[in-house]
Amino acid sequence: MTAMLIFEIKKILVKPVNKIVLLVLTAALLVGSFLTLRDVTYTTEGGEVLRGISAAKELKSVKNEWKGELTEDVLWQVIEENQKILAETPNLDEAFVKQQGLRDIHEMLNNGFAGFDEWDYYRADSLSPEEAAGIYQIRVDSLKEYLSREEVKNTFSEKEKEFLISQWENLKTPFYYEYAEGWKALLDSQYLPTLMTLLVVILGALVAGIFSDEYSWKADSIFFSSKLGRNKAVLSKISAGFLITTVLYWASILLFTIIILGALGVGGANCPVQLGESNWMSIYNWTYLQKYFFVTIGGYVGSMFITLLAMTVSAVTRSTVIAVVIPFALSCAPMFLGRITVLTRIISFFPDMLLRICTYHDEFLLCGIGGKVMGVFTFLIPLYVVLCLVIVPVLYLIYKKAEVK
Amino acid sequence: MELKIADLTKEFGHFTAVDHLNITMTSGVYGLLGVNGAGKTTLMRMLCTLLRPTSGKITCNGRDILKMDGKYREILGYLPQDFGYYPDFTVEKYLLYIASIKGIRPAAAKKRVRELIAGVGLQKAARKKMKQLSGGMLRRAGIAQAMLNDPKILILDEPTAGLDPNERIRFRNLISELAENRLVLLSTHIVSDVEYIANEILLMKEGKILHNGTAAELLGTMTEGVWKCFVNKSEVEKYMKKYKISNMKSEAHDVELRIISAKKPMADAELVDANLEDLFLYYFGEKAGDSNADF
Repeated sequence: MTAMLIFEIKKILVKPVNKIVLLVLTAALLVGSFLTLRDVTYTTEGGEVLRGISAAKELKSVKNEWKGELTEDVLWQVIEENQKILAETPNLDEAFVKQQGLRDIHEMLNNGFAGFDEWDYYRADSLSPEEAAGIYQIRVDSLKEYLSREEVKNTFSEKEKEFLISQWENLKTPFYYEYAEGWKALLDSQYLPTLMTLLVVILGALVAGIFSDEYSWKADSIFFSSKLGRNKAVLSKISAGFLITTVLYWASILLFTIIILGALGVGGANCPVQLGESNWMSIYNWTYLQKYFFVTIGGYVGSMFITLLAMTVSAVTRSTVIAVVIPFALSCAPMFLGRITVLTRIISFFPDMLLRICTYHDEFLLCGIGGKVMGVFTFLIPLYVVLCLVIVPVLYLIYKKAEVK
Repeated sequence: MELKIADLTKEFGHFTAVDHLNITMTSGVYGLLGVNGAGKTTLMRMLCTLLRPTSGKITCNGRDILKMDGKYREILGYLPQDFGYYPDFTVEKYLLYIASIKGIRPAAAKKRVRELIAGVGLQKAARKKMKQLSGGMLRRAGIAQAMLNDPKILILDEPTAGLDPNERIRFRNLISELAENRLVLLSTHIVSDVEYIANEILLMKEGKILHNGTAAELLGTMTEGVWKCFVNKSEVEKYMKKYKISNMKSEAHDVELRIISAKKPMADAELVDANLEDLFLYYFGEKAGDSNADF
């Protein structure tokens, strides 16, 4: 079985087109890492913009001055410090430089006080220390106010509203804060979901020929007339697809993680994701470390399902071209179809959603199973694990019973 | 070893490729002779468990080959007509891979692959990619893969198709060497292939076995004679429309014809011994005047 498996993997890797595909993946990974690091900036008092590692070093130093729980006292101090900076530095650009250490907390206050679905970049600047202290309760109240609005009255059921409010109420407060630029760059930017989408398309291209190439190369007659051609050899093909997907997925994700966290630091793993600028509305009460696990494991399950589906299509249609289209269609088409209002709900159950947990975890995408309401990702991950387990024996039987006509 | 085909039928929609076929084969070389479309490949694919029969069954030593599953395929070697391979594998890697799906352990496989590469004369090409091999070399690699598991049943579908005369002779000799102590079924529409190496010939037409036996036995089934005669070039067309012509050779002024006919076609025609090509034409050929003739 091991020998067969090794040969199946070699069959994939020796194809010239697949070598090119792997080079594209490596290049995308390196370029993506470079761009992600480049997005982290720090402006010195002299006006010089530092990027990447040197920026991270400065940011870590100034942000960790506020390290610890963001209690009423701390928020009070932040507001006072902010007001002091603004008073001493009328030039907003110069003030920005001095505000860099408290920027995350400043944005959190902006999020909390601008209104539920609004944004005011300068809202924190006009807050009094007394007002700022109530941010955690205001967050929950603003959700309740939103859910009682006329225009969203019928968008959510009562159970869903209860679930949303309870999730927001259950978020541990006061927030724990420390420098977390590494995690934010890794999980809050668009690079990781883009990398995952690219990975799925590339994995699809690699595995699409595992079954159909036997037919297109006319090697099927010898394969199926061999002793193990209708049992273990089929299993070795499925295993090759599984291994290629697993190894390439985790190698790419871990390499990206190591580059980003290695350069920007691992601090902030225990901060709640709601501290991130775009995560304020998240219904998932994760720390950054928990988000990382959800995002990467979800991405893995989604990728595995899509590649297994591509292999099944490859076995049924006997066409590598059709099989290659599947991962591309499943990872890209829903992004556009989701804009059609009627399809939004259905599209949120598509496997590509698992590649974009980073992006969609702050949207109120819910589902109800047996009267229990939950976030759609809590449901999708086990659902697609089960579907993967179902698809494997189906794929095995399709190929095992194939005829050579 | 007994391979028995009982009332075997394979239909593709309304087309019957193999029609209630019955035959029993034991050790030896069997030549399956028939025109293209006679059902040879379909029959062979069923013998290799690549196709399921519509009805009837094939048994090996009394056991249904489909139920035997891997146990049957363990003793089977197959070289298909369209021999497919993995273009970016070297010959050696290709054979090692096929050995693995034949269930041969890696250590034994290495030894066997070395032996077979030498046996089929591919030592110099062992590290070459399959896509770089010539047609003849590919056929040799094909026979090597079929022999990897030292099969008791060896099925070769048109093994010499597309080879030049030298390669064909070499390949025929190779098959003869390998045929000892096993059942070899060789399909072809090239008469000389079976003439030289088959112990028994099966004549297949429209999904049925017309006759089977040794070359001499089959020649004995011909109810018409083979006549050698010389005709003027202008008369050739007339004879072609009237008779089955198994050979035609132009001389300076005349043309020498080999005519298959029950009656003497002309006064100075000479009755000669029939050969397998005459037999082939007798059973499968058409006169130029026939509506479906391939001329």
